[in-house]
Amino acid sequence: MNKTIEELHELLKSGKVTSEELVKEALQKSHEINEKYNAFVTIMDDAKGGEVSDNYLSGIPYGIKDNYSTKGILSTGSSNTLKDYVPFFSATAVVNLEKNGAIPVNKTALDEFGMGGTGLTAHTGPVFNPWDKERMAGGSSAGSAVGVASGVYPYALGSDTGDSTRKPAAFCGIVGYKPTYGMISRYGLFPFASSLDHCSCFTRSVKDAAIVVDAMKGIDKYDQTSWDSSKMHLYDSIDGNVKGKKLFYIKEIANLENYPEASSELKMHLNNFHEKINLLKEEGVEIDEVSIDKNLLRAIPSVYICLSCAEATSNMSNLTGIIFGPRGEGKNYMEMMKDHRTKGFSPLIKRRFVIGSYILQKENQERYFINAQRVRRLIVDKMKELFKTYDGLILPVSTGAAPYINGSKDEITNDDTSILEEHLQIGNFGGFPSITIPCGFINNLPVGLNITGNCYDDINVLNLAYALESKMDYKNQIAKEVK
Amino acid sequence: MNKFTKELVNLYADKLLIGLTQEENDLILKEFDIIDSEMALINDIPNIKEVEPMTHALDDFSYTLREDIKEESIPIEELLQNCDRYEDREIEVPLVVGGE
Repeated sequence: MNKTIEELHELLKSGKVTSEELVKEALQKSHEINEKYNAFVTIMDDAKGGEVSDNYLSGIPYGIKDNYSTKGILSTGSSNTLKDYVPFFSATAVVNLEKNGAIPVNKTALDEFGMGGTGLTAHTGPVFNPWDKERMAGGSSAGSAVGVASGVYPYALGSDTGDSTRKPAAFCGIVGYKPTYGMISRYGLFPFASSLDHCSCFTRSVKDAAIVVDAMKGIDKYDQTSWDSSKMHLYDSIDGNVKGKKLFYIKEIANLENYPEASSELKMHLNNFHEKINLLKEEGVEIDEVSIDKNLLRAIPSVYICLSCAEATSNMSNLTGIIFGPRGEGKNYMEMMKDHRTKGFSPLIKRRFVIGSYILQKENQERYFINAQRVRRLIVDKMKELFKTYDGLILPVSTGAAPYINGSKDEITNDDTSILEEHLQIGNFGGFPSITIPCGFINNLPVGLNITGNCYDDINVLNLAYALESKMDYKNQIAKEVK
Repeated sequence: MNKFTKELVNLYADKLLIGLTQEENDLILKEFDIIDSEMALINDIPNIKEVEPMTHALDDFSYTLREDIKEESIPIEELLQNCDRYEDREIEVPLVVGGE
């Protein structure tokens, strides 16, 4: 299981290993890893090996984030409000993988309903980082990131509304890829903020990410926002030839001079980023520094909070405990629903719902909700203007390695580093394809960088990421505790 | 626009059928202060009111209506498996109309 999908497929085809053996190993590792890092909600002990065909995913185990509906298998969204919920249908992405012969072995823990960035708010308790248990894995797709980083399997499904795949990927030293909005159907993915939600995946190599999304994607009559990508063959299109391509980074985010009180870790992180992007220059990629209005950039986290909280408040109004979910107590149905929601939701998402409700009130909509939508357009238009000249945007992920769990609060802040921490949300505002790859270590802990491109230009983004990955030594790395 | 106050936080939480602790209430106000100050900057962007709000990730969706084909529906008995209280094919709730 410490091999890539490509390598495992070769082993299966040559008969050196069987699918049954891989599934057994994945299940055994699932239990070991869960014991240590609390990454999974359900382990499917009755999973069996499958048929091996020419399809890369056939017979290979994988993990599913627990906000994907899986028919007959507990799907909780890591929330007490759905702690016993067993769906009667499977998400389209899961069905598509099944058609490719993929074998699910566990359901992974997340920040409740995907609303968090720490991996600490699942109803099953905090998820720990496999490089250092005192640190967070990042969220919301914490369990999937841990499963892949720990070598339980070569890939797992994630979802990404703000950075929920691309940030935990960086914190765990693996690849996290969300394709263009609508390439993968969201049918069966528990909705958080529908205009920002993307299906996504974690792998340990860029080519593996292309293989997985090739299998997950496709137009779906159950998701009107999905589109026909049948002529787009991601894996087959990766050739590593990036000569003449152009990337930019944003001066106000990536340069050390923006952070007069930078910690030594932040200094190392940004210096490492600039060193690593030079590797792409050696391959003939032009990389420019671009300046963007700082007020626009500063607005990113608040715009994200306004839009995502408002949409979530609406999407989750169906969680009443009446027709599904644990029934609350009370004399009448209103009291029952209030009891269910008060006891069921974690404090973090209760706060988000109340903010969402406030900004959706008629008298507040213009100032918060509509203005956030306006700024979303300004930011997206700016990116699209730059994508006319450039093949993509390249930036460091977060302010360094995974933060310590102790003292972490997942609160909204507006300090100097909040833009660096939250800029991946740009990828959700515009539905842009976006990939995080590991790019080095700081104090023995992994850090990552991200490449984001224009909508429908996934092949270009993957190719640039592959070219850079090939120049570094972090492909297919398995986490080992450094502390 | 009303200023967000402790009382309003409780009012909106109640509308959402959510109960809050005092600590949760305080934190909402603290976080909202930050959002409010950032959104104030947005209101200073020249001609912001003339920008068309962006409601979705893509602007070029092509919507097609599904063919009007009858599909098999899920048996009610199967759907009720996730409901805590039901009788036969119906969900059980306290009396809504009439009663005491």
